[in-house]
Amino acid sequence: MNKTVTINISGIIFHIEEDAFDKLSKYLSTIKGYFNKADGGNEIMSDIEARIAEMLQSKTSAVKQVVLMSDVDFVMDAMGKPEEFAGDASDNTGSSDRAESYDAYENGEPIKKRLYRDGDSKVLGGVCSGIGHYFGIDPVWLRIALLLMFFFAGTGLLLYIILWIAIPEAKTTTERLAMKGEKADINNISKAVKEEAEQLKKRMEKYGSEFKNMAARNAPRNSVEKIIDFVGDVLINIGRVLLKIIGVCMVIFGVIFFLGLFGSVFGMSFMTSNVEVQEWIDMVLMDGKDFYFGLFGISLFFGIPIMMIIYAGIKILFKLKYSNRWVNLSAGVLWLFGFVMCLYVGIKTGADFSKEAKVREKIEVKPYDTLILKLNQVPVNLSEVQASTDDHDYYDNEGLKINRHHQDDYMIGKHNGEKYLLGHAHLNIIKSQTDRIEMIIVKESKGNNKNIANERAKNIVYLTNQTDSVIAFDNLFRVGNADKFRAQDVTVILKLPVNKVVYLDKSLLGFIYDVENTTNTYDGDMINRRWMMTEYGLKCIDCDGLNNSYEEEHELPVPPSAPGAPTININDKGVIINEEGIHIDDKKDTKVTIDKHGVHIETDKNKK
Amino acid sequence: MVNSENTKAQMRKGVLELCILSILSQGDAYPTEIIEKLKETKLVVVEGTLYPLLTRLKNTGLLTYRWEESTSGPPRKYYMLTEIGVTYLKELHLSWYELVDAVNKTINKQD
Repeated sequence: MNKTVTINISGIIFHIEEDAFDKLSKYLSTIKGYFNKADGGNEIMSDIEARIAEMLQSKTSAVKQVVLMSDVDFVMDAMGKPEEFAGDASDNTGSSDRAESYDAYENGEPIKKRLYRDGDSKVLGGVCSGIGHYFGIDPVWLRIALLLMFFFAGTGLLLYIILWIAIPEAKTTTERLAMKGEKADINNISKAVKEEAEQLKKRMEKYGSEFKNMAARNAPRNSVEKIIDFVGDVLINIGRVLLKIIGVCMVIFGVIFFLGLFGSVFGMSFMTSNVEVQEWIDMVLMDGKDFYFGLFGISLFFGIPIMMIIYAGIKILFKLKYSNRWVNLSAGVLWLFGFVMCLYVGIKTGADFSKEAKVREKIEVKPYDTLILKLNQVPVNLSEVQASTDDHDYYDNEGLKINRHHQDDYMIGKHNGEKYLLGHAHLNIIKSQTDRIEMIIVKESKGNNKNIANERAKNIVYLTNQTDSVIAFDNLFRVGNADKFRAQDVTVILKLPVNKVVYLDKSLLGFIYDVENTTNTYDGDMINRRWMMTEYGLKCIDCDGLNNSYEEEHELPVPPSAPGAPTININDKGVIINEEGIHIDDKKDTKVTIDKHGVHIETDKNKK
Repeated sequence: MVNSENTKAQMRKGVLELCILSILSQGDAYPTEIIEKLKETKLVVVEGTLYPLLTRLKNTGLLTYRWEESTSGPPRKYYMLTEIGVTYLKELHLSWYELVDAVNKTINKQD
């Protein structure tokens, strides 16, 4: 028993066995493939079909109603192989059309090679085998390459997932053929031609009239139109190449961005500067779930666009028109999710900066007439410092970081596995209201509320040290990881009574910050000099060389213990005698200066 | 290797046009009739060759056709010579005889 199919050839109805039908329809579409591009192809087809109908009719009768395989074989024998007679037709016409169609056949053009996933020989999604077909590579190498890339921050996995989403699976026979890009034999062509013809038919039916108009317009082609067409073709090709380049760039940059993001967020960095981002996230975000919320949110917020860039790049590169609504939708939802999480963590963290607290600590200073202020470089071992935003590190002979240009920068260090934040402290010198030298350390921090901010401020570790008349200030303060970065700051305020003198050591460069003085001298010019507190603020004692301060700083350093010129200080009476002359200040209302400008007497009454 | 089949096919193909026109000069015919006559003389091996040729001759204006209903099958396409076709055939006839003469003479001299 065999199943039969009812077909209509040239208006005659035949019952034909299924396998015979397959063979006949293949045969017909093969012929169609040959005559498709020839002049009057449709007419030739209908003539041939009419003849076939006649022959089949002669093979059937009231008794034998069904067309059998043998009948189809008979028809095909009589008609001949398409390549035999189609070749004849083309030889006779000698037209270029034929040559083209023949070439197309030779090159297997009817089925263009396309990128599909190969579901038949898949390990996971058939991505590698599909790409292997496309480029003619053994998929094993691609699998190995992807696997290696997996260990490279999981890039392989990401790429695989994106490719899986972007590349459609080859489901139909045509798609499988297109995937493998098999050289067209007659069966392949017939399949392709059949589909093409069906498509054309549908289009013709739909746009019948338009199509005719277009054909009529195209028929009388003049040379100008041809040139325009040619230029158009060239432009389109250039556009295609550009598009491919854009696609390649998108994929490459996407992968680089992904590596950057991955390194930043998970601390598996391939670029040293990225470690710090992760450290900073840890330092800023709160502990526990907020930290993971933040990481996850940031990953989604930046990762989804990066993935979409790679996705779009791959689609451009392989001309994948297949688009999945769910991909875009879920990407959008995930991105929004990430955005909301970032927002939540951001607001929560931001709230932790809302209140400010200052803690003042008084430190006893042993009184000396001239205090020498210098900076104590906190030895920061390089192995401890994991990261720094400072590009201008200096190292001394022992490999310690000794100087930093950006004094506002914070650094993250590690000590015994504990992470801590290092910040730069600053010094200000103001007039004391009493006659005692006072040092106040102001520690600032922010927090959710006053108490927390206060607690954090207290936790800041900052040290100074006095040996005789020398006060050494640590350049850095330290914050424990538990307190997080909450804009902590330390300012040292040295309250100096009138007539007391401080020598600002060279090392204080960058440490003294906006110190007021009578001559409005810039911080950078204040170092390496002695300053005396007067009623009106700090006054420079040895500032004659201010104009050639460069020389003085670099060639004539004046150590405080052995000044270049003898200076006599008579503190009790406010008399200073040095090479400039004699300066007398009674700290109340009278000042007498005797120098090269002459004798100058200044009293409060004069001033008023 | 010289393929004699190929040469024979080329020869047949060359005169096929002349034969079809000649058959049609004896009266209108539809493809099946033309094929049967050609098959008698073994000029056509495969039928498929005929259809593209007929279409081309029709398109160049040598042939035209009319539809005739058939009692037993699909409607038949009866081809006939046009006036151009008739003159064209006469020219072909002349050059054919010249060719046969020339070829015969050449072959006989070789013998």
